[in-house]
Amino acid sequence: MPTLPVNIGSYLVNLCSALLLLTCFAIVAQRRLMACVDLFALQSGFLAVTATLVAYLTGIHHIYLAAILTIAIKAIILPRILKKIVRQLNVQREVSMYVNIPTGLLICGGLVILAFFITQPIVHLGFLLTQDSLAIALAIVLIGFFIMVSRQKAVTQVIGFLVMENGLFLAATAAAYGMPLMVELGIFFDVLVAGLIVGIYTHQIQETFGSVDTSRMKALKE
Amino acid sequence: MTTILFLALLLAYACGMLLPLCFPSRPHIQNVIAHGSASVACSLGIALGLIGLLASEPLVWFWSSSIPLLTFSLRLDSLSAFFVLTISLVGLAVSVFASGYVQEFYGRIPVSLLGFLYNGFLLSMLLVVTADNAFFFLIVWELMSLLSYFLVVSEHEKPDVRFAGLFYLIMTHVGTAFILVTFLMFYQETGSFAFEAFRSADQALPEGLRTLVFWTALIGFGTKAGIVPLHVWLPYAHPAAPSHVSALMSGVMIKTAIYGLLRVYFDFLGGPFPWWWGFVVLLVGTVSALLGVMYALMEHDLKSLLAFHSVENIGIILLGIGTGMVFYAYDMPHLAALGIIAGLYHTINHAVFKALLFMGAGSLLYATHTRNMEEYGGLLRRMPWTGLFFLIGAVSISALPPTNGFVSEWLVFQGLFLSLELPSLFLKLMLPIAAALLALTGALALACFVKAFGISFLALPRSPHARKAQEVPVPMRVGMGILAGLCLVLGLAPAVVVPLLDRVSEPFAGISIAGRMFEMGGWTLAPVSGEFSSLSTPVLAIILVGLTGLGWGLAYVLGGKGKTRFYKTWGCGLNVTARMEYTATGFVQPIKRVFSTIYQPTVKLETEFLEESHYFAKQRHFEFSIEPIFLKYLYHPILKFFSTLADRSRVIQGGNLSLYLAYIFVTLVVLLVVMG
Repeated sequence: MPTLPVNIGSYLVNLCSALLLLTCFAIVAQRRLMACVDLFALQSGFLAVTATLVAYLTGIHHIYLAAILTIAIKAIILPRILKKIVRQLNVQREVSMYVNIPTGLLICGGLVILAFFITQPIVHLGFLLTQDSLAIALAIVLIGFFIMVSRQKAVTQVIGFLVMENGLFLAATAAAYGMPLMVELGIFFDVLVAGLIVGIYTHQIQETFGSVDTSRMKALKE
Repeated sequence: MTTILFLALLLAYACGMLLPLCFPSRPHIQNVIAHGSASVACSLGIALGLIGLLASEPLVWFWSSSIPLLTFSLRLDSLSAFFVLTISLVGLAVSVFASGYVQEFYGRIPVSLLGFLYNGFLLSMLLVVTADNAFFFLIVWELMSLLSYFLVVSEHEKPDVRFAGLFYLIMTHVGTAFILVTFLMFYQETGSFAFEAFRSADQALPEGLRTLVFWTALIGFGTKAGIVPLHVWLPYAHPAAPSHVSALMSGVMIKTAIYGLLRVYFDFLGGPFPWWWGFVVLLVGTVSALLGVMYALMEHDLKSLLAFHSVENIGIILLGIGTGMVFYAYDMPHLAALGIIAGLYHTINHAVFKALLFMGAGSLLYATHTRNMEEYGGLLRRMPWTGLFFLIGAVSISALPPTNGFVSEWLVFQGLFLSLELPSLFLKLMLPIAAALLALTGALALACFVKAFGISFLALPRSPHARKAQEVPVPMRVGMGILAGLCLVLGLAPAVVVPLLDRVSEPFAGISIAGRMFEMGGWTLAPVSGEFSSLSTPVLAIILVGLTGLGWGLAYVLGGKGKTRFYKTWGCGLNVTARMEYTATGFVQPIKRVFSTIYQPTVKLETEFLEESHYFAKQRHFEFSIEPIFLKYLYHPILKFFSTLADRSRVIQGGNLSLYLAYIFVTLVVLLVVMG
């Protein structure tokens, strides 16, 4: 049984969620690809901590397993794969973006407000422990999506996708205290496979277009 | 007992599909196994059909499945049994024929694959007419369409075959979509996909929905049947397929649509329906019959010609059924039964003679390697058996006594003439007009087959192909012979056929009329009374044979001993060559002139004169084409509309990944804001 008072536990969960959100902003502000990958690993670490906290506070044991898998796959294996790709492709920096960094940060701020605005009516229905996490999770999903839209390099788009995934996982943990174990395992497996496939495809894009700049794929249009 | 029979039939088809795959690169063994199994399965199918037709209660088989809403339930009532019988009869003859015909494809097309598709196609048709669950029906219907598509594109290395296949695939799916809608409306009302629920009267559909069902079923099944103006795929797809497959598609597959229409209209919708339903079906039938035969006349590709004749004959079948529907709407069960019987009779007749003619066309293709009639000629001497069988088929389709086509068309006519018993003045006027148009159709069909037979088989060979033609192998002749015999049997024995058909129409019309349709101990067919009209084909046949014999006898007696002289045809001192012969184009020239409003022909004649004098032509180039009005005025505008729409909407397809992501993103955010 949890020894922490519930309201302190709730603060801690909110703190961790906020840290997740903060890393999102850091990724948006970061140009260097290696740093982006590191930030993603850090975010996954925070996610694992959040999951552990929730598991501890609620006493639902299978969330521990999810936390361990998060560390293993999202904080260790996937960053390694991504770093390997970055090294192989020899692209270090995102030179041009569709939206410059200050504007991007402002938009992200807007997205956070939007997320809180949307979740407001349903927040009261949620569990006490994770009230604000749902809004934060939605904000992370939206920012992840925004990263995919605003960046041109395939690698950063993958990172955007993975950030979205993190957001969804946070939402699942926060709103429903985790999904059934089988579903979680399936999702982890999916993410891993997606990472591998994306790795191969990025390589193919590089071979075909001489760059991982996806805006060059316009050439595929008739 | 019947279950064992049915399982044996399934097993035979399974053998035909799978066993040939076990003998890679041995086409002969594959051929024998595939078509042998199909023949066995079809023989079992004939037995099953007869049992089902004679049984007093419908036979039912049922297997549940783990998929929701889907049960593999089959029901063999008299209507299903009739179609099982038709499919199996034709299937048997075609399978025998195919075992010879397929030799043509050795080394070009994998025979095992062809056998797999062929057996699967036959089986799927059988399941279509026995399925007792809408979900299951749609699955086998789709299976039938897809398998026939793959068979159509057997020779996919030719671009026009690929085009024909694509055209067929699109049209058949349009039709399937409408059938799907039909069944979904039933599902919505009854909450079940079982045909049993559709059938039950206590869950009858509201009036508006019934009308909608009428239209969707007519369009959906009509696309498969090839009614005008949904027939456009038929003259492309049927000729493109290998001939034995064309025989099945044209002879049998399009009949599954007739089955579907009867099932939906009489069995599911049941009850009295408005008279105009029958009138619409009549109208569609008349237009299809007339336009089908008119376009057939202009075709010089033998298989396309036959394909257009399928449109015509579907029209005649619908004329019979439409008459039945009109009488049914006015609660005149005797005449309704007569109309349905006429339609069904023509269904089996058309299946038999059309498959026969397609096999004949296949034999000509096999022997000459061309489908163009202008390159045939003089084949009767070289291929006497094929010629004889083709002639029997041609006589049948032209509805001449004493063959089967005559009997069923006569019955259709009777139904139309009996319209004078209808209470509605409008219909009293309309039905005789339909009868007149049907008569015109019959005359044009006769002209068409005089052309088809005369140009192909008589006179001198028009090309080296025809000169070198040889009689086809025995299995092909046997296959054609079976159906040629059936043409005569079905024509001479209406006394046997009509009572069987009566069992089919009885549940729908609610009355059995077989007992009163015959006079003079079963020798004469008299739909209402002997005074109104009666027909006895056996007597007619005897008279015809007798008169022919009499003519010969008189000629022999009066003409004395004729000396036979072998000498060149009289030709003004010139050597007679094939170039002097009547061509197919020339033959139809008068008809083309008469109906030029419909054909809108374009004739192009370019003459290149000698430099010395303008009275002598050096070279002439003649081109002639008729306007495919339905393609031009109906299908092209639709196509154009959609391609313009697609072009317009291509603007949003920027080709940039981020742009696509942004679309999704913006949609998501907008939805969140609006809905939140």
